Amino acid sequence: MRMIIQSVTRKVVAGFFSASLCLCGLTGSFAQSKGDVLIKNATVLTASRGTLEGTDVLVQKGKITRIGKNISAPPGVQVIDATGKFVSPGIIDCHSHSMLDAINEGAFSVTSMTNVRDMLDPNDISIYRALAGGVTGALLLHGSANSIGGQSATVKFKWGHPVEDFPIADAPPGIKFALGENVRRTTFTPPPGTPLRYPRTRQGVMEVIRDAFVRARDYKQSLDDFKAGKTRIPPRKDLELEPIVEILEGKRLVHAHGYRSDEHLNLMLLADEFGFRVATLQHALEVFKIAPEAAKRGTGASIFVDNWGYKLEAYDSIPYNAYIMWKNGVVVSINSDSDERMRRLNIDAAKVMKYGGVPEQDSLQMITLNPAKQLGIDKRTGSVDVGKDGDLVIWNAHPFSVYSRVEMTLVEGEILFDRAKDAQMRTDMAKEREALEKLDVNRAPGAGGTPPRVPTERRRGDRDEAEGVIDNE
Amino acid sequence: MKSKLLLLSFALLCLFGVSVSAQSYAITNAKIITVSGATIEKGTIVVRNGLIEAVGANVATPADAQVFDATGLTVYPGFFDALTTLGLQTRPATPPTGGPGGGPQAAAAATAAQPTSNSNYPAGLRPEDMTSDDLRAGEAQFEAARNAGFTSVLTIGRTGIFNGQSAVINLAGESVSAMTVRSPYALHISYTTLGQVYPQSLLGTFSAIRQMFYDAKRLEEWQKAYAANPKGMKRPDNDRSLEALFPYIGGKAPVVFNANTEREIIRSIDLIRAFKLSGVIAGGQEAWKVADRLKANNIPVLLSLNFPKRTTAAAPDADPESIETLRLRAETPKGAGKLAAAGVKFAFQSGGATTLADFFTNAGKAVENGLSKDAAIRAMTLGAAEVLGVDSRLGSIEAGKIANLAIVKGDVFSKDRFVAQVIVDGKVFEQKEPAKPAPGRGSGSGNPTGTAPPTTTSAPEPANVSGGYTITIDVPGSPIQATLNFTQSGSTLTGTFTTDAGASPIRDGRVTANGFSFATTVPYGGQNIDITVQGSIAGNQISGSLDSPLGAVPFSGTKVP
Repeated sequence: MRMIIQSVTRKVVAGFFSASLCLCGLTGSFAQSKGDVLIKNATVLTASRGTLEGTDVLVQKGKITRIGKNISAPPGVQVIDATGKFVSPGIIDCHSHSMLDAINEGAFSVTSMTNVRDMLDPNDISIYRALAGGVTGALLLHGSANSIGGQSATVKFKWGHPVEDFPIADAPPGIKFALGENVRRTTFTPPPGTPLRYPRTRQGVMEVIRDAFVRARDYKQSLDDFKAGKTRIPPRKDLELEPIVEILEGKRLVHAHGYRSDEHLNLMLLADEFGFRVATLQHALEVFKIAPEAAKRGTGASIFVDNWGYKLEAYDSIPYNAYIMWKNGVVVSINSDSDERMRRLNIDAAKVMKYGGVPEQDSLQMITLNPAKQLGIDKRTGSVDVGKDGDLVIWNAHPFSVYSRVEMTLVEGEILFDRAKDAQMRTDMAKEREALEKLDVNRAPGAGGTPPRVPTERRRGDRDEAEGVIDNE
Repeated sequence: MKSKLLLLSFALLCLFGVSVSAQSYAITNAKIITVSGATIEKGTIVVRNGLIEAVGANVATPADAQVFDATGLTVYPGFFDALTTLGLQTRPATPPTGGPGGGPQAAAAATAAQPTSNSNYPAGLRPEDMTSDDLRAGEAQFEAARNAGFTSVLTIGRTGIFNGQSAVINLAGESVSAMTVRSPYALHISYTTLGQVYPQSLLGTFSAIRQMFYDAKRLEEWQKAYAANPKGMKRPDNDRSLEALFPYIGGKAPVVFNANTEREIIRSIDLIRAFKLSGVIAGGQEAWKVADRLKANNIPVLLSLNFPKRTTAAAPDADPESIETLRLRAETPKGAGKLAAAGVKFAFQSGGATTLADFFTNAGKAVENGLSKDAAIRAMTLGAAEVLGVDSRLGSIEAGKIANLAIVKGDVFSKDRFVAQVIVDGKVFEQKEPAKPAPGRGSGSGNPTGTAPPTTTSAPEPANVSGGYTITIDVPGSPIQATLNFTQSGSTLTGTFTTDAGASPIRDGRVTANGFSFATTVPYGGQNIDITVQGSIAGNQISGSLDSPLGAVPFSGTKVP
């Protein structure tokens, strides 16, 4: 490990160390790093202005303040020698269900009153693993069981911080829409006694969405009438319709799960009718068929590169989907929809170069700057540029190489993953475990007791697919 | 000799539960832990008309007094269990979630099984439900709790999101009105789901709570405006469910959130702040992790003494337990000390522990782990009374307060403690020192044994357990509805364990003459956890306990006909 920390405020490092050691979220004892760091002599993949060789990046108070050669460290700034290493912007996953204690509210087809912000678990180990894969931010979405699902959260993975530090305060709010099989609930066996839920057809899904917008328009009118003094009784504060009013006002971004291009096109036409823009088409395996229509409306697409065929509506795709959309001027991002796949999005981006030959920087943008644009946070993150947040990844090799791995991940200049420290943590945790196992409370009962835990598959289901078989549907 | 005779005659009287309230009762030569003041090493307490008339080292014994010589015994204020289900009717598992067969008929049957209500909200979202309506009369039901030294409890059922409004009761009195000390105390909220109707996920639970609070706020304003001038204004609804929330919004009365994990507590604090509630956390297993926030927002904790412990047998081929589980068990007993150090107010509660003895034993563990003995006693007496808003009447041994006393032989935190007498509202209850004290829960909800069914060499005929059962798992703070479907073949048990989160096949299922056991893996709180279940069946009633890495909880339910 050649990453040498030359000058450090010992306290900050010690504080960080103990915080990350305890995998539970520490709210009280976290020694707040100032987010000051100088990365020396790296190959910097800016994702906006090409590749800079032998370049230093200075981060102060969480923001990138200088990029150039031979920058000297201001006093108290930690210096990281990145000679021979690559620096990229932090990866942003534009479709994730990480950190969430619950994903789908299935009672209604419209559950816009729910908000995944309520479900964030800042101690989810997936966060740390995502950081180890270079991911610094994500769009956390409600599941796809509903034509209009819950409100989403755009977060930075500030591992070790209290939960309120995760959502990006100035990110535009978002909401999940969904089309097709999952919403129709026709591939889903409801628990006995549960009545079937409307809609059961694709046309019914469109009806439900249109109805919600009509109701939201009426609701907005009732609010305006009250404000204007036309009515005396204050209208009910309607948590279901408020976010839909925000969509109509252009304040809330729509992220629409779907597979068939006819459905995605239908939704964009409905958006035209109600005067809003769909921010992203999610999964969007067939959007190559309607790329000009999406590009014209400024609607982005967030896709898997080469994963399809896992259900009927997901059959018609090609690995050149990203390339064709890119060629047509659609803002494309590559997402994971999976805590596991999230850790290797760099390889997914590399595939875009293979299938169709998207240039290197444009491919890298599909996991950095493009998702930032889709989420409305590109002013603060997504590329290595002065003025942006210090969300940076230090790789041992080019991130598009299968031999590359993350050495360090920084969020706003704070080192939240460090491979060298991780090795030390493993040793320390083994010692801690040994001590804990000796305690009476952790000893097996002398006689009797319940049978031991049987190992189970570790993957987490119950994501988009409400019935919970496969993550990435 | 004389005192012994008196004691004997008194014991005889007490067998018949004779009230001594008309006469005075003097406890002499006792060590008195007043809690509110200094400990009296040797003193007298005079009880009359259900109240403490006098207490002190030099208090004269009244001429009419029955005297109890408490030499060698210690008198404490009667102990509080700050969250129980004591006194509540045991109902069949509710709400039914359809059951096998399903369809509209099952749904209609489910509706019919609900207590009738004209509420606009489904069962589980009815804050107007009053514990005092569900309490049953009679004091015999409290015997086990009294024998453990408890004289007052906070009680409420734990079904639904809005559990309803709780009551502080004394553990004596033949009528509900006589046992009630304060009703309602608080509105209680659990982060659970409603199964068949919205909300079916935690996501919806939070939205449903918020929407009802907003609707109540609006209704209150509307009703006020209408009362002031109804002309030309649409008449507001008379909505009992929303009206029940009026006193809680703005903090006129407390709202108790059943929350154990750090994030549940933080979410509760967010709700408390958003609606300016007078918040209380119940459970609080990880409350120490957010002690600073609790302190800053002046939120007390009804702290569970049901500490997690390992129940799984050792096996060389088993996966190691997660370090989070190992830490949780090690850290939980330290929580009380940390809350005390941070200045957070707390009261102890049994947290659904299957044996009441654990309450004092685990309070002792809290003392071993950094809590002062005085603070521990306070958390089960005056401190609890303060949180429950009854400290002007209960919680300490002071003249004028209600005569709730526990007279204890031996250290209250030690295993050999013995509660010789309990006085509730001036009424004396005595217990003979048994050879082996084993106070049970005694609340009539089936007594989970917590031990494996004994294996015998003669292999008696296994019980017949085949069939479907709907059960309520009494997870403190968020009871879970589940369905068991058993298929039995000799002593082998197969089938499924179904919750809102889905169905899991059971494994290692065994049936003995005394009951059944099985293991399964269930989705819970966003992850899969392994649980083991043991229970027994009597008639159409099923009960037992469910063990997980997070601790053991009881369950009970009924057979699906």
